[in-house]
Amino acid sequence: MEQFAQQLINGLAVGSIYALIALGYTMVYGVLRLINFAHGDLFTYGAYLGMTLLTSLALQDRFGLAVGLAVLALMVMGLVALIGVILERAAYRPLQSSPRLSAVVSALGGSIFLQNALMLIYGARYQVYPDVLPQATVSLFGLPVPVMRIAVVVVSLAMMAVLYLFVQKTRTGTAIRAAAIDQGAARLMGIDVNRVIQVVFVIGPALGGAAGLLVGLYYGQISFTMGWTYGMKAFTAAILGGIGNIPGAMVGGLVLGVVEALGAGYISIAWKDAIAFVVLILILIVRPSGLLGERVAEKV
Amino acid sequence: MNKKMAVVLALGLVGATARAQETIKIGLMAPLTGAWASEGQEMKRNVDLLAEQLNAKGGLLGKKVEVVTEDDGGDPRTASLAAQRLTTKGVVAVIGTYGSAVTEASQTIFDEAGIIQVANGSTAVRLTEKGLKNFLRTCPRDDEQGRVGAAVVEKSKAKKIAILHDNSAYSKGLADEINGILKGKNANVVFFDALTPKEQDYSAILTKLKAAGPEVVFFTGYYPEAGLLLKQKKQMGWNVPFIGGDAINNPDLVKIAGKEAAEGFQFLSPPVPKDLDTAEAKAYVVAYQKKFNEAPSSIYGVLAGDGFRVVAKAIEGAKSTKAEAVRAYLTGSLKAFPGFTGKIEFNAKGDRVGELYRVYKVARDGSFVMQP
Repeated sequence: MEQFAQQLINGLAVGSIYALIALGYTMVYGVLRLINFAHGDLFTYGAYLGMTLLTSLALQDRFGLAVGLAVLALMVMGLVALIGVILERAAYRPLQSSPRLSAVVSALGGSIFLQNALMLIYGARYQVYPDVLPQATVSLFGLPVPVMRIAVVVVSLAMMAVLYLFVQKTRTGTAIRAAAIDQGAARLMGIDVNRVIQVVFVIGPALGGAAGLLVGLYYGQISFTMGWTYGMKAFTAAILGGIGNIPGAMVGGLVLGVVEALGAGYISIAWKDAIAFVVLILILIVRPSGLLGERVAEKV
Repeated sequence: MNKKMAVVLALGLVGATARAQETIKIGLMAPLTGAWASEGQEMKRNVDLLAEQLNAKGGLLGKKVEVVTEDDGGDPRTASLAAQRLTTKGVVAVIGTYGSAVTEASQTIFDEAGIIQVANGSTAVRLTEKGLKNFLRTCPRDDEQGRVGAAVVEKSKAKKIAILHDNSAYSKGLADEINGILKGKNANVVFFDALTPKEQDYSAILTKLKAAGPEVVFFTGYYPEAGLLLKQKKQMGWNVPFIGGDAINNPDLVKIAGKEAAEGFQFLSPPVPKDLDTAEAKAYVVAYQKKFNEAPSSIYGVLAGDGFRVVAKAIEGAKSTKAEAVRAYLTGSLKAFPGFTGKIEFNAKGDRVGELYRVYKVARDGSFVMQP
């Protein structure tokens, strides 16, 4: 029982990171019907930019840990969003009216470009974050749990909640949902779809970048190829929840994380990914459009 | 075809072959990109520096040596393409590469092309058991490492032993080797499983591992995962001793784990240049430091350098660049060559002769200390 609870917490922590990244995939897919393969690399950029800013500006010494990290997070999210917007301009907008396959190939190209640019700038070796987080543990239901592990989950959930409210309650959010249902009709209704796409490429990468920063701060070690592994998992989470569906990405991420941790804990560590993917296949057989369905937005 | 063009082409070809004769080309196949890029770039540094030093002394057989580098991306498919490209570039020998599975994908290509291949990091046993006549390696084999590893585990007097690998050809091979030896001696192996490399969160694995209650854990994977395991194990407040294989010999281990978490960790490795007392090794460390502003950090980079040096020595000794002559020199005439990783000699299979492995322990200040 103790192991079960421990693995559940382990799974939730990993799953909330998957969910944050999955949001970027699902939002872009929702509006553009494009799998943004470069999204995993934007996540990596978040981790690297975070490290550079953390070591060069030392905000945590100037403003205290909490405020310093919040400012750092905003800066990282802003910069990664900027990269996301440039990526959209350079790699996707020129292909808007071409077949969808061209855009996917362009996305893969963008991914290779971003990854290798990072290697040339920072070098191929693993990079390490300075230790700034407290190492304390708290007792949760009688289990020792690192405080930061809970913080990772809480911060991720908070960002997802803000995003959910933004998409559901604001005008821009409504425009995003409208463009996701039917771009042509949205245009006829006077919605600037290109602007919506830009907003999507601000929010998705910003959340991805924030996830990168969280991973860097919490796990300490980052490498220029880390976006691939996380990207694949997050993409899986997006499909699991129903791609194009924002709450689906959150649920998908958490479910994937927990399934992985429990699979590793009770069946076999080596088969962890296989177990996760078998679960994915089973869910897709029963619910072909994912846990929450592809297009809940239409029903709103 | 236009006559003029034919003449130009012919002249070009003549020019190309004439130029080819001016240098002796030695290939380097290394993972310059991809997940093992740090190892690959270190390999290139070592080989480039040694080629530079060799050319400064006049080169080989009166010719300059030119290093032709190809990137294998740490991936078997890319490696077979890289190998094919190298065979068309007139290289007489190839140094590399790192991962066993990657080397395996290139082995027969070089063998059929009659090019000597000296791998530097591929320790899987079967690579030299195929009877390929042009393949050698400067790194030791996993069965030797398995023997030394099992001995270290036995010395620790742990009653419950856990073995963890990462499912790669190297890591699983070594884990099987150690497991086999320990089982043969009726040791109690309570845990044998694999993690997925390139992940960041190993808490699920550590939680399960801890529940098995081992007194010592042998991890046969690579340093990035080892560093994270050590760090996360400390965060869990679990202080079981960890032992690792030779893929963990990289100073970045301590950077990733942190000094406190890494202290006391033991791993196996061929000796690094700073622990050798030969004058060549000492001078090399100084030259390397001068050129790159840091000491050589990867043992595999140094092993690639040793590969280059034995090939150069063999070409000079055999006074030929023919594969048969070079191979005959390497497996026959080369005796106790003073390498940067200990004395180098090859047996008929192309493996290094002699006990190479040492046990290293991470000290409090994060340095690697060779154990007597």
